[in-house]
Amino acid sequence: MAVGLRRRSPRGAPSSLIEVFRGDPPALELRGLTKRYDDGTLGVERFDLSVPDGAFFGLLGPNGAGKTTLISAVCNLIRITAGEVLVFGEPTSSLRTRRWIGLAEQDINLDRFLTVRETLLYHGGYFGMERADAEGRADEMIDLFELGAKAGVVAPKLSGGQRRRLLLARALMHRPRLIILDEPTAGVDFELRQELWSTIRRLHADGTTILLTTHYLEEAEVLCEEIALIRGGRLIARDSADGLRRHFGADTLQGVYVKAMAG
Amino acid sequence: MTGYRGLLWLARRETLRVSKLWTQTILAPVVSSILFILVFGLSLGDRIRNVGTVEYDVFIVPGLITMAMVQAAYANNASTIFQARYDRYLNDILSSPMHPWQMTLGFLIGGLYRAFTIGLALFALAVALIAVPVERPVALIAAVSLGLVLFASLGTVVGIFADSWDHTTFIANIVILPLAFVGGVFYSIDLLPSPWEEISHFNPLFYLVQAIRFGFLGESDVSIWLALGVTAALAVPAYLWAQWLFSSGRKLKA
Ligand SMILES: Nc1ncnc2c1ncn2[C@@H]1O[C@H](COP(=O)(O)OP(=O)(O)OP(=O)(O)O)[C@@H](O)[C@H]1O
Ligand SMILES: [Mg+2]
Repeated sequence: MAVGLRRRSPRGAPSSLIEVFRGDPPALELRGLTKRYDDGTLGVERFDLSVPDGAFFGLLGPNGAGKTTLISAVCNLIRITAGEVLVFGEPTSSLRTRRWIGLAEQDINLDRFLTVRETLLYHGGYFGMERADAEGRADEMIDLFELGAKAGVVAPKLSGGQRRRLLLARALMHRPRLIILDEPTAGVDFELRQELWSTIRRLHADGTTILLTTHYLEEAEVLCEEIALIRGGRLIARDSADGLRRHFGADTLQGVYVKAMAG
Repeated sequence: MTGYRGLLWLARRETLRVSKLWTQTILAPVVSSILFILVFGLSLGDRIRNVGTVEYDVFIVPGLITMAMVQAAYANNASTIFQARYDRYLNDILSSPMHPWQMTLGFLIGGLYRAFTIGLALFALAVALIAVPVERPVALIAAVSLGLVLFASLGTVVGIFADSWDHTTFIANIVILPLAFVGGVFYSIDLLPSPWEEISHFNPLFYLVQAIRFGFLGESDVSIWLALGVTAALAVPAYLWAQWLFSSGRKLKA
């Protein structure tokens, strides 16, 4: 299915065919998003992007391209300089949009005073879950991410991989409709990566929208239905892996990446 | 509705932190204050004349309890928020569906919990060791509450602005402790020569100590209404400042 490459979609117009077929508001829509940090650095600039509901979407770009900035803008972690962020059609100033998003940040940020189980329970509480529901869900997450043996251990006493698992479990805890994973597989061993892939795929199959950043091109190729290439805080291209290859006249995604980033 | 549940869990998290670290957060300040009461009160008490109609060992207890409580409220919020920023798990709270005022209040409750626990422990010990009365319980509760809101909020603000652990202790050592010492904890300012007596009236902690002493002993160097008024006039803006930092995201969010 060929989806025309668009640098910028006209306001209000659907930016992919998938969206036309589904007719729902996109899971995520950025309109003219600009973030200039206090020291003057531009994180992202006049960024337009629409991620359809139910998509498996990849953000690709070199270090410092603006991927984490974009994600932070969506999750109320930075002050936006200009532009708009809509989540399932609602502006992020509406608090309930935050319940719909599950975020696993690039850097592990766990509460050092809480055990694995408490981390999940308290997160559920912050996100408005009822206690009984949160307890059941926490146990489910602990099973899913094989943290049973460590349920009563505080975060600083976990191994790196276990922390990464807990971070992901926390992101999924409140059953978000849009899961944002910022380099979830960085520094993760082969086995956990395989498990993660299959977990994320299962969530996607159940209708959850996934927004993933990664530096592993083969990971983006295998997992993502659509990929956005970012450089210098701007959107370079956005299409399926096949579409990108065609557009850039490259045989592999590596080829696309090299051409796109060379400008 | 969801935000309220978040507030409850944040408050629970903050009190859990205090309980998990109880030797540092509760025991240590209680022990050091009791040492002050014993050393200053019981040993010097026989040698120092009464302050007004009150015996010296009784006189210093309200001020020492005040000092322990406000320091705890300040230190608690400064360190919990600085740590949350430093470890960046504050993002889990910032990205949650809580209103900024609920975040401010949730953190405040942690500071109040710690300070009240210390205050109650010291009060119980002081009653056992020295017969300290509570003449005006309503004034006492009002004074303590206002004072703690003031200092916990100050802790929140410093925790948000601090760039290192040293900043948080700097304010405690250079501002709060000296002000408490010259705020009439150990003496009645009537005993001070001019101009020190007049200068003492510019010390915000002086009014808090006076209000709390009035609550315990039924007497103070200035009117209870003035003392409560000054404390409230500081507590409200301090709280609003903390609240504004959460709602504007200044310093908390890049
Ligand atoms: N807090 C900050 N203050 C100032 N500049 C910042 C801040 N955070 C990020 N930047 C800058 O914004 C730009 C985009 O950074 P960002 O973290 O979004 O990149 P990224 O695409 O996530 O990179 P990586 O792949 O390395 O994670 C960079 O130039 C970075 O230096
Ligand atoms: Mg990044």
